[in-house]
Amino acid sequence: MGFAEDYTEPTSDSRLERGLDHLQQNSRAYLLIAPTIVFLLAVIGYPILETFRLSLFRAPSETSIETFVGLQNYVEILNSDVFYQLLWQTGRWVVVGVAAKTLLGLLIAVHLNGDIAGRKFFRTAFLVPWGIPYAISAVVFTWIEHPQYGYFNAILIKLGVIEEGIGILGSPEIAWIGTVAADVWIGTPFMAIILLAGLQSIPEDLYEAAAVDGAERWHQFRHITLPQLKGVILIATLLSTIWTFVSFDVIWTMTGGGPIDTTHTLVTWIYQTGLENGNLGMGAAYSVIGFLLLMAFAVVYLRVYTSGGEEL
Amino acid sequence: MTMAGQDRGRLRKVRLYGVLLVLFGVMMFPFYTMFSSTLKPESGLFASPATLVPTEPTIQSYLAVWGQTDVLLWIANSFLISGGTVVLTLLLAIPAAYSCARNDFVGKRTFLLAVLVGQMFAPVVLIVGLFDVVTGFGLFNSYLAVIIPAAAFTLPFNVWMLYGYFGTIPVSLEESARIDGASQLQILTKIVLPLTKPALVASITYTFLYAWNRLLFVLTFLTDAGKYNVPRGVFSMVGALQTDWRMMLTVSVIGIVPLLILFAFLEEYIVAGMTSGAVKD
Repeated sequence: MGFAEDYTEPTSDSRLERGLDHLQQNSRAYLLIAPTIVFLLAVIGYPILETFRLSLFRAPSETSIETFVGLQNYVEILNSDVFYQLLWQTGRWVVVGVAAKTLLGLLIAVHLNGDIAGRKFFRTAFLVPWGIPYAISAVVFTWIEHPQYGYFNAILIKLGVIEEGIGILGSPEIAWIGTVAADVWIGTPFMAIILLAGLQSIPEDLYEAAAVDGAERWHQFRHITLPQLKGVILIATLLSTIWTFVSFDVIWTMTGGGPIDTTHTLVTWIYQTGLENGNLGMGAAYSVIGFLLLMAFAVVYLRVYTSGGEEL
Repeated sequence: MTMAGQDRGRLRKVRLYGVLLVLFGVMMFPFYTMFSSTLKPESGLFASPATLVPTEPTIQSYLAVWGQTDVLLWIANSFLISGGTVVLTLLLAIPAAYSCARNDFVGKRTFLLAVLVGQMFAPVVLIVGLFDVVTGFGLFNSYLAVIIPAAAFTLPFNVWMLYGYFGTIPVSLEESARIDGASQLQILTKIVLPLTKPALVASITYTFLYAWNRLLFVLTFLTDAGKYNVPRGVFSMVGALQTDWRMMLTVSVIGIVPLLILFAFLEEYIVAGMTSGAVKD
């Protein structure tokens, strides 16, 4: 606080002068955050405004001619079956994905939390799927699920479950499950690591007291572990929901949204419409709808985060 | 402990390790798939159903990959893009985080929350607007077109991570240095930053991984194949008329080796970074 010595009592009570005084005293503090503010305004703030603006135009990317159409793009979206199909596909992608990540993550965390030999090794190994390029994971899962040469089908054939390989990513009914599988594999480590850290912050004596009472393991888990872990689970699932919602690379690499658009989610559709098909106005309108959904998640997240999870 | 109690304890241990190994097997299976596939000779790769263990393992594909793909170029580009993103992010985040940790000024809370909210605007919902900005500034097809957006989306994590850590460093250390006549910059670089090492390593690792792993920006803003990074390179092989699985999987294995090394050495910092926001004491 090197500015304390410069401090003088404000001579006037006028808000403006007090404001100027404050600015002057903290000029260096403001100067240091200024580049970050300018940068974020330029790279995130401005594109947000630009997206809102574009959503009111018909704007093919191959020309620079933009035609103002008002809310026409939104009207078109809300009246199209595609939009509701997309919401359904996005919903199942997020709900199934997050649920699977949470359960798998919890399972891993609980089993890593004990007195395990080689825990550090296991923790590192479980972390790796999260830290490698999504495009690579997507490619590997496409290979695993390959109808003729894939290991997944080979195992099922060996076990006698099926006689002939299934083309998972080629079937409109089940292709989405094939993409969710890859996303779950990528997202599970984050859950496991966060929940493990949460488990380790639970005071040991809670368990000791319960052990004296002869509580069974499952009982302990339900009545001590889960309630203690509630806040962490909430934050982790919220973050995971946001990340799953905006996950792009996996679907784009594995299926590009196909077959017959069944693996598209809202965000891959934004990309397809705005950049692949070059319909910037429509893409922007879909983006704004994506913003609104994200903002809803963000508001919940911020409330939970700033209240430390106690509120819920 | 009674005999029955001992037995039960042992049984529990067996079950614990049993479940852990099954989970481990499931999570490592994709790595096994990719790696074992690359060890098969070309004919063996296309056996149907697939053989789970390569019958005549060979490193042929690892010898061929350098000539048949641009994997080295992609790795070099990945280093360039990740390195650039780390530098830009830190140049912005360190002063901002330090300023917030050391001063109480009007708008600080708003600034920090706005930064956090900025992160919520994931790149893909901004991509249409970003596309306009990138082309507008004439950045299209330059490394900066990828580095600048990546830095913007890693900034929030970095600001918060460093802000939290700077707050734990006693001000008295800085004051005594100031009495000794050290300048503000000297204090930051000689005293504060060395003490911030754990947070810095976590920040750098996170930023590096983020920029290394993402496909979206390169896919959208770089059409020049000479600037592709690893994910974009792999993606270009998917898009090819006839997917060359053998080369693609070999590139994938090679593409994650630098990351595995990073993980082996920095696992603790990565975990610290991941958990910093979600788990509060």
